[in-house]
Amino acid sequence: MGSAIVPPPLEIGRANSHDVRIRWADGHESVYPSADLRLACPCASCEQQAVPPARGQLRMLPAGVQSVHPLRIELSGGFGIRIYWSDGHSQGLYGFAHLRALCPCCRAGEGRGAA
Amino acid sequence: MTTDEAGSSIHHVIPIASGKGGVGKSTVTANLALALARQGARVGVMDADVYGPSIPTILGVTSQPEMDGDRLVPAEHDGVKVMSMGFFMAPEQAVVWRGPMLHKTMQQFLNGVDWGALDYLIVDLPPGTGDVQLSLCQSIPIAGAVIVSTSQDVALNVAQKAVAMFRSLNAPILGVVENMSAYVCPGCGAHDDIFGTGGAEALAGRLGVAFLGAVPLTAAVRRASDEGKPLVVAAPDSAPARAFAEIARNIDTLMRRMEPDVRPQVTF
Repeated sequence: MGSAIVPPPLEIGRANSHDVRIRWADGHESVYPSADLRLACPCASCEQQAVPPARGQLRMLPAGVQSVHPLRIELSGGFGIRIYWSDGHSQGLYGFAHLRALCPCCRAGEGRGAA
Repeated sequence: MTTDEAGSSIHHVIPIASGKGGVGKSTVTANLALALARQGARVGVMDADVYGPSIPTILGVTSQPEMDGDRLVPAEHDGVKVMSMGFFMAPEQAVVWRGPMLHKTMQQFLNGVDWGALDYLIVDLPPGTGDVQLSLCQSIPIAGAVIVSTSQDVALNVAQKAVAMFRSLNAPILGVVENMSAYVCPGCGAHDDIFGTGGAEALAGRLGVAFLGAVPLTAAVRRASDEGKPLVVAAPDSAPARAFAEIARNIDTLMRRMEPDVRPQVTF
């Protein structure tokens, strides 16, 4: 959880049948591919899986991660969102700062919108 | 404003936190709640200190919550609705729980209690920056946290951690209260800054938040808490009661000035 001030999201919805779109208060718009978002689940169990495996060990990815998609999203106080995934997982709370840091276009340095 | 399916609507959720134990969070919570109620607000107190609930004792609540269908109806005392783990355990019993049970209890207190319509839900947090604080901030929008500290460095240093925690959870900070401020000798009227003075105001300045007020240290505050007759009600003209009333007014003023909370629209 970073300490930088992140503009709050205004709208959280579907970008298409699989992906998630967030429109932020600073005008920026983020579109998250479902599989990337699922792999970035911040719950303790998933974070443990995300640690690079030791030599000789296989990294466990959630089954069917390429086709996984959100079934439902709900707000988690003023902190972030909880995503109910089609693979049955729903433990991760995605903080807004975490989500902004995950924004694919920001990570690629290709800012879109008014950010 | 937070509303739930059963019709409870809460305008402002205000956690009272300190990070450090023993600085008077519960005393401040009880007196602030009563002060806000006496100023005309509809107030509830949620005692989130599951391991060491003291709100029923301090407020002198003698009635018990009741069940209405699958929801708990909070006890009501001096115009304030109250829910606490203290209602469900004998004084000699201890709660020995891991985090998930604390989370469930917070959910039950927030969503399974018929709070009705409230202007303020004041939440008495336990010391620390752990499960209860996380559960609260990740379950319900926080209007603003009130940080309570004495003026001594050991308390102020830990209070900063509570501020950092709220900020990392996107929960605004309303301001800082200095409790156990200058001691006034009831015999001679001399002042003694037992825990120091001015530290909380300086902390508020450094953090860029409001200084809400200072409550003097008197034996009457302790007696009133032990007897279940908080000074705001028992001795409203006493110096501590006037301080609590001023802090309550400051909180109410800040809340009225705050921009309405705009929650993101989720269409999923």
